[in-house]
Amino acid sequence: MDGLLGEFGEGDALARAENWRYSRQTLRALEQLPFGMADGTSALPQALIERFDWPQTRGRRLVFVNGVLDAAHSDTRASGAMIDRTVDGACAIHFHGDDALHLVFANIPAAAPARWNAALHIRAESGRARLIEQHIGTEGTDVLGALTSDIAVDGGATLQTATLGDLPGSASLYRRTRITLGTGAGFDSTHALCGGRFQRFDIAADLAGEKAVLTARGVFALRGREHVDVHLDVRHAARDTLSDVSWRGVADGRARGILHGAITVAQGADGADARLHTRNLLLSPHAEIDAQPVLEIYADEVKAAHGATVGQLDERALFYLRSRGVPHAAARSLLIAGFCREAFERIDDADLSARLDSLLDAHMPQRADAGE
Amino acid sequence: MLKIDNLHVRVAGKEILKGLSLEVKPGEVHAIMGPNGAGKSTLGYVLAGRAGYEVTRGTVEYDGANLLDLEPEARAAAGMFLAFQYPVEIPGVNNTYFLKAALNAQRKVRGEVELDSMQFLKMVREKLAVLHLKEDLLNRAVNAGFSGGEKKRNEVFQMALLEPRLAILDETDSGLDIDALKMVADGVNAMRGPDRAFVVITHYQRLLDYIVPDFVHVLADGRIVESGDASLALKLEEHGYAWIAQRKLADHPSLRQA
Repeated sequence: MDGLLGEFGEGDALARAENWRYSRQTLRALEQLPFGMADGTSALPQALIERFDWPQTRGRRLVFVNGVLDAAHSDTRASGAMIDRTVDGACAIHFHGDDALHLVFANIPAAAPARWNAALHIRAESGRARLIEQHIGTEGTDVLGALTSDIAVDGGATLQTATLGDLPGSASLYRRTRITLGTGAGFDSTHALCGGRFQRFDIAADLAGEKAVLTARGVFALRGREHVDVHLDVRHAARDTLSDVSWRGVADGRARGILHGAITVAQGADGADARLHTRNLLLSPHAEIDAQPVLEIYADEVKAAHGATVGQLDERALFYLRSRGVPHAAARSLLIAGFCREAFERIDDADLSARLDSLLDAHMPQRADAGE
Repeated sequence: MLKIDNLHVRVAGKEILKGLSLEVKPGEVHAIMGPNGAGKSTLGYVLAGRAGYEVTRGTVEYDGANLLDLEPEARAAAGMFLAFQYPVEIPGVNNTYFLKAALNAQRKVRGEVELDSMQFLKMVREKLAVLHLKEDLLNRAVNAGFSGGEKKRNEVFQMALLEPRLAILDETDSGLDIDALKMVADGVNAMRGPDRAFVVITHYQRLLDYIVPDFVHVLADGRIVESGDASLALKLEEHGYAWIAQRKLADHPSLRQA
C-alpha cells in the first residue's frame, strides 16, 4: 500500500484519492520523514502538566505520552477505564462509563521524527457520560500520532465529547472516530482544533436507532501553515433521527482548513431531520478554506437544511471596536475569537466553556502573520 | 477644542461635504440639523476616522493637532466618541469584555492606570443605573439581538463609561420612543460640564427639547448654511428645511443656479 494514505485512507484508490484531495500533499510531505516509534517514557515538562491539570477533572484523568499511559500523571484506577495493548503493541483504552473521563495525549519529540498509535473503545450504556480529549505537545522534531476510536451509545444514554486540539507546529494527528447510536441515544460533540502541522479528523456516525440525536459543533482557528482537514460522515439509518452539525472555520497566513460534511439519509429513515451549517472567515489572501456540505437523501419524509459561507472580517464591526479605543490588532482578535465562540454558545459546562475560550485566545491569528 | 475648516469629503467618488466649517469649544453643545442626504452622518464618520471617507480639502484640528492624522483608536484615546446611528451587532463578543478592553486601552494610551475587574464592574454598575439599563446587558454580545432602543441606550451607556471630552451623537434619537428618548437625554445631560463638548446630529427638533443646545446649525448640501441659538431649531420645526433652502437661495445667487 502506498504509505500513510494506504494506512489512513479508506475504501478503494478512487475513494481515497477523493477523500484526501486537499491533504494529499501534506501527507506526502510527512511521508518523507524517517519516522521511528515514539518513546513512551519521555518525561512530561511542567509547563505541559499545567495545561491539563484541571481541578475539575482530577481523579478522572488519563495521560498518555506519545501514546503510552503515563501512570504517574494518571488516575488509572479511579478513572474506571481499562487499558491493555493491541496485538501491534498500541495502547487500547476501554471505557464503559456514565461518568466523566479526561484523556490527555501529549506529544513529546525525541531526537528523530516519531510516531505513536492508540485506540479508544467507548461504550455509554446509560446515563450521561462525558469525555474530554486533549491533544497537546512540545515543539521539536516531528511527532505523528494516530488515534482511532469506536464509540457506541446505547438506547437512552447520552455521551458528550469535547476535543481540544492544542498542538505545537511540529505535531500531527490522525484521528478517526466511528460512532453508533442506538434508539433514543444522544451524542453531543464539541471540537476546537488549533495548531499542529497537520490534523485530520475522520468522523463517521451511524444513527442506527430511532430518535437518535447527534449534535456536532466545532471550530478550527488556523494560522501560519497549519492544516486541518475534517471529514464528517453522518448516516441517518433509522426513523425520526436528528443531526445538527455547525462548524466555524478561520484561516490566516498560509493556513488551510477543510470541512467536508456528508449527510446520508438512508431509505426508510423517514422523519429524519438533518442540518449542516458552516461559516468561515478567510483572513489572508494566501489562506484557503474548503467547505463542502454533501447531502444524499434516499428517504421520502425528510427535513434537510445545509449552508456554507466563506467571508471576510466585517469592516464595520472592526471600525466600531476601534472607535471605542480598542487597537486594531486587538479589535481584529476580538472579532475573530467572537466569531469562533458563537459556535460554543450552547455549551452549558462553564468550565469547559472557559477552557475553549482560552484555547481560542491562545491561537488567535496575530497581525504579524496576516500579511504573509 | 474642535475646529473644522472648509472640509470637503468624498465618499465612493461622490462629494458629500463641500466646505463645512464648525468650531466647538469645551462646555458647548452644538446641534446639527438637516435634511436627509445633507452629509450629517458623513461628518460623524469622518471625525471618528472611518475608512472610505476621503478628505479632499480642508482641515480638522482637535486640541490643536491634526485630527485626520490619527487612527480611530487614537482619536478615542484622545477623548473623542461617536454614538453610531446604526450600532453594529457583534455576535460572540461579550459586552463587558469589549468595554473593559476599550476603556483600558484608552487609559493605557493616556498613561493612566488600567482598571482591574472589580473597579471596572463598580464603574459599570453606576453608569447602568443612570441609563436604567439592566445588568444582563453586560453578559450579552455587543448589540446582538438588541432592540433599536436598547442599541441606542447602549451607545449612551458606552459614552457614559468611556467619559469622552467630545461626544458626537449621530441621530441617537431616531427610532426611540419618548421614554427611551428621555433616558438618552438624561444620560447626556448628566455628563454636561465645562470640559466636555457635544455635537448632537439630529433630523428632528424633538431631542433638543431634552438636550438644549447652545448652538444650532443647519447642514444642507454638504455645508453649514445657517447657525443660531436653540430657537433656530424651533423655527425649523415650524417651517421645515425648505424654508432654509429658500432663504439661502435668496441670499446667494450662486446657489440659485445650482
